[in-house]
Amino acid sequence: MNKTMSINHHPSDALLIDYAAGSLGAARALVIAVHVHACATCQASVAAAEAVGGALLEDLSGAPMSPDALDRALARLEQPGSEPAPPARTQAPHPPAQPHDWIRVPAEVAEAAGRKRWVAPGVWVAPIDTGTPGGSLSYLLRVGQGMRMPQHTHSGSELTLVLKGAFLDGDDRYGPGDVSEVDDEVEHSPAILAGEECVCLVACDNRLIVRDWLGRLVQSYAGI
Amino acid sequence: MTKPRADEPANLILAVAQRGDRDAYALLFEHFAPRVKSYMLRLGAPPEAAEELSQEALLTVWRKAALFDPSRAGASTWIFAIARNLRIDAIRRQRRPRIEDDPTDEPPAEPAADAVVAAAERDARLKTAMAALPRDQAEVVRQSFFQDKAHSEIAKDLNLPLGTVKSRLRLALARLRGLVGDLA
Repeated sequence: MNKTMSINHHPSDALLIDYAAGSLGAARALVIAVHVHACATCQASVAAAEAVGGALLEDLSGAPMSPDALDRALARLEQPGSEPAPPARTQAPHPPAQPHDWIRVPAEVAEAAGRKRWVAPGVWVAPIDTGTPGGSLSYLLRVGQGMRMPQHTHSGSELTLVLKGAFLDGDDRYGPGDVSEVDDEVEHSPAILAGEECVCLVACDNRLIVRDWLGRLVQSYAGI
Repeated sequence: MTKPRADEPANLILAVAQRGDRDAYALLFEHFAPRVKSYMLRLGAPPEAAEELSQEALLTVWRKAALFDPSRAGASTWIFAIARNLRIDAIRRQRRPRIEDDPTDEPPAEPAADAVVAAAERDARLKTAMAALPRDQAEVVRQSFFQDKAHSEIAKDLNLPLGTVKSRLRLALARLRGLVGDLA
């Protein structure tokens, strides 16, 4: 975790609870996972929500397992592939390379940048395969310094997580680790701050409704 | 402080981790497998799939017992997270993207015996606090875990404004968050 990062915009508690419960779609769960990894405050919230899940599990009246379930389970322990995993921190001696100036992301996200498509001067998009076609959409969006993001609104909700750089949406500044959560009430065109490009991880439930030519290009290349 | 009991689930997991204790594993299985199956059934898995996912979850408990850290999560919380992740992976066609741990992070300390006691006390406090939640807050929390629905859909089902559901969840989490902080 980057100890100097100052995160000011967090996902709502409702989103964190949905994340802990496992009921978020893949794209939004990915945004929350990356934010939580960087944010001690939200780690505590997710830990609390998971503890609620544990207490609810403990409280459930069990569904009877089949009569031979325990025998099957014990037999499986002897099969190859059932060996205990090594203790923590020794499993991934060579973590995959990360773009060094992004906040920490899963390998799948870092690799997606290799499939970027420039859609306009200063702007590229890179779709991320979350394994759920037809569901919510996940993509990287890079916008050059001093530019504006495509003006758009949404037919669902959109989560944007800053991986690098910063943008202004109205009076709010979003820097690395910050999450912007907007719904279909909002029509906006965030502005990238001068001095550095901005790379974001975006999750979108439904199609963007774009208002300009640049937005339409982003839409066609991100497959959104 | 209460004395840690050998059949406390956290101690059973530690016995599996430290010496591959099959008797401890059998006790864990008998306690948790039916609950995990029940969880899967509630979330819409057909009975055969629920049974298989429960078997998978308990096999994961065996394999990953050495990663269990009672100072971070109680036994039922840890097993809940395993079951939840297996369910997500079963629904999606590929594994969830995971963030690799930074090797420069501090490794977790050896779990001390009193960490198990402290964790059990923390879980008991949480249980008391959950029982004391106002009914409307408890209901939306419960639905968040036992319906495969995001809060926006739960709001529709309960015929409530989305903002009301979100504020109930926020109030509930605020009450519980202080109870489950890191024990270290």
